Amino acid sequence: MKAEEKIPGGKLVCVEVAASGGNVDSLRITGDFFLHPEDAIARLESALAGEPLTISEADAESKLASALGNAQLIGVSCQDIARLFRRAVG
Amino acid sequence: MMWRVIDYQENGAFMNMAIDEAVQESVAAGGPPTIRFYGWNPDAVSLGYFQSLEKEVDSEKCAAKGVDIVRRRTGGGAVYHDKYGEITYSVIGRESLFPKDILASYRLICGWVVDSLGLIGIKSEFKPINDIVVNGKKISGNAQTRRGGVLLQHGTILYSLDVERMFSLLRVSDEKIKDKMIAGAKERVTSILRERNIPREDAYEAIFEGFTRGKDFEIAAISAEEAARAAALASSRYAKPEWNRMR
Repeated sequence: MKAEEKIPGGKLVCVEVAASGGNVDSLRITGDFFLHPEDAIARLESALAGEPLTISEADAESKLASALGNAQLIGVSCQDIARLFRRAVG
Repeated sequence: MMWRVIDYQENGAFMNMAIDEAVQESVAAGGPPTIRFYGWNPDAVSLGYFQSLEKEVDSEKCAAKGVDIVRRRTGGGAVYHDKYGEITYSVIGRESLFPKDILASYRLICGWVVDSLGLIGIKSEFKPINDIVVNGKKISGNAQTRRGGVLLQHGTILYSLDVERMFSLLRVSDEKIKDKMIAGAKERVTSILRERNIPREDAYEAIFEGFTRGKDFEIAAISAEEAARAAALASSRYAKPEWNRMR
């Protein structure tokens, strides 16, 4: 399950979702965006772990944002990632 | 503020990325802010930190053509580094030397590239997030990371461009799209040589001047400690599939 988008005015982002038993295991977020510090990607990729695949876009965004904390995404936002997550899981 | 300037030198891809990291560490430990100019020999493809290698690069074709592939510690996109066709720089200094705002710091350092191109009569402008364009065509891509209180920005300035070779190495799945992309890239990308017919040495001289003008600096090599650390990082990280294929 994956969805990809070139964010207008931003970067290309692909969100792949690994899931089992109706729940998210992890995300894999790839693309040519920036994230400072880069290590924060691990937190983002596990932000939805254990959540049902039916989690709403708004709830997914809020979990991603709290995992992001003070780290800074450039060229993509948590809202974009949440939207791509929803598109990926259908 | 005394800058150290490391004059143009060519290295393999793994060593180039390892030197950037070794210098970033030495700056974190109190070393001088450093501007470094370099080239890639052999030709190489560098990948952004968050990119998927297999999605972005035809690794078999790269291997067959002797083109190295290395993952950078900076985000951004895949770049084909032609040993003749580009000049690369790194700017490495404590974060306190630069604007805290990331885009503002891109604008500052990219301004040095704009100044450099201006010296050879090429009018360019910074295009956020991280590009420099001439009449809307990209001539320079840049990428930044901040670690341990130290900012590292590296970027490439195109001297000449072989679009066909670039697209034979970067992965574009559909051949029709590839054709379109080659045609499109010729419209979207430019190089110093396409804008001004000047020798590569003159282009480098302008870049050196554009980056150093108004700064106190001394030309120096990397230290023996940095060289040893870079050699270790090149073999323990940048040459390793575990690093390059981690995504």
